[in-house]
Amino acid sequence: MYQQLKESLQEHVSLTDEQWELCKNNFRPKRMLKRQFLLQEGDVCRQLTFVEKGALYSYSVDSKGNQHVLRFAFDGWWIADLQSFFTDNPSTLNIEVLEDSELLVLDRKNHEKLLEEIPAYERYHRIIVENAYVALQKRVENALGLTAEEKYARLIKDNPEFMNRVPLNLVASYLGMSPETLSRVRGNFSG
Amino acid sequence: MPITKQTIAIIGAGGNMGSAIAKGIAGGNYRLLLFDRDPDQLESLIEKIQQDHPNADVVPIDCAHECSWEADIIILAVPHQAEKEIADKIRDVATQKIVISIANPVEEDFSKLTTTSDTSAAEELQEWLPHSKVIKAFNTTFAADFQQPIIDGKQADAFIAGNEKEALQSVIELVETVGFNPIIAGDLSVSGTLERMQLLLIQLMIRNNDDWLAPWNVTEWAPELSGDSTGLAGWKILRN
Repeated sequence: MYQQLKESLQEHVSLTDEQWELCKNNFRPKRMLKRQFLLQEGDVCRQLTFVEKGALYSYSVDSKGNQHVLRFAFDGWWIADLQSFFTDNPSTLNIEVLEDSELLVLDRKNHEKLLEEIPAYERYHRIIVENAYVALQKRVENALGLTAEEKYARLIKDNPEFMNRVPLNLVASYLGMSPETLSRVRGNFSG
Repeated sequence: MPITKQTIAIIGAGGNMGSAIAKGIAGGNYRLLLFDRDPDQLESLIEKIQQDHPNADVVPIDCAHECSWEADIIILAVPHQAEKEIADKIRDVATQKIVISIANPVEEDFSKLTTTSDTSAAEELQEWLPHSKVIKAFNTTFAADFQQPIIDGKQADAFIAGNEKEALQSVIELVETVGFNPIIAGDLSVSGTLERMQLLLIQLMIRNNDDWLAPWNVTEWAPELSGDSTGLAGWKILRN
């Protein structure tokens, strides 16, 4: 139930057995089913969620009802609305379950306790947030500066698992293009 | 109440108290997962809930562990003597979750409590589930009280005890959904008092061959608890 989390921590820092126990006991194991919501627009995001197994995605909905996918999370990834989590403002995002998932939820209070009590956890969290920042910057650059073909090429190079686990309409939304455009671009690629 | 739906597991949902709680909260923004050792008991309960609340999100689950894994809040609606066994089954998936102890640990002949005077059913449950947030609630309201939380214009009080502020807040919302007036009695160590209070009431019900519709009402007599300080103090049991 905690295998991926343990591996993720061990990839970046080393913890004693005692620290790992303390860390693990602060997470809330939560199983969720496809189409359930981990967070809905208007609620404050008070938790960081680690995906042991499964898939989720975060998105906003514009005034016309169009969905804009911000990101996905799969086995071994974290997901949250960090804007809401850090500022305590209501979230503008929804986080929905894409495949039946096994999650480990870390409430803010427990996260703060771990930051204080386990220096290695603080370092781990810093690395995770740094990585998230880098990914976000890349994503903004790609969204602003690349053609549809380039966006798709970048996606299948950097995140090939997306194409196997995510419906095409969500991939299109993530890339900021219509499903028709994505379809055309994919046709050009295979042709 | 949060917009994002919370999931509540009721272990022992087919029993008197379990089904009263399920019916009482089915109209709220909750997903209900119902487990009972005797699953036949759940069918008619679910039918009844869907009649009263056509949009209720309520499903039977045939395993206490699975049920608790998916839940945010776990309600143990079983006698205290059954709680240890359930705690052993659900411990690994109950970490950091709110677990509500509704039990009054009474002897079979209702003469006294089975717990010693320095502890309570809720504190014992907290020992068995050391990484969960145990909250005492729904032990001072009989199953019949859920059908009629307001008697003669007066709202039934429901006492809550627990150590974590945020967990208490979530349970306050549950109690309000039922229609009771929640009163935080104190931290988990107050549970023993709440359990003894109810032992007294159970004994009175039996002695008077009563109908068991008898919620506590403190705010009516001690209005400072509801913010209106006319200086009266006391309590009563609401009667029909």
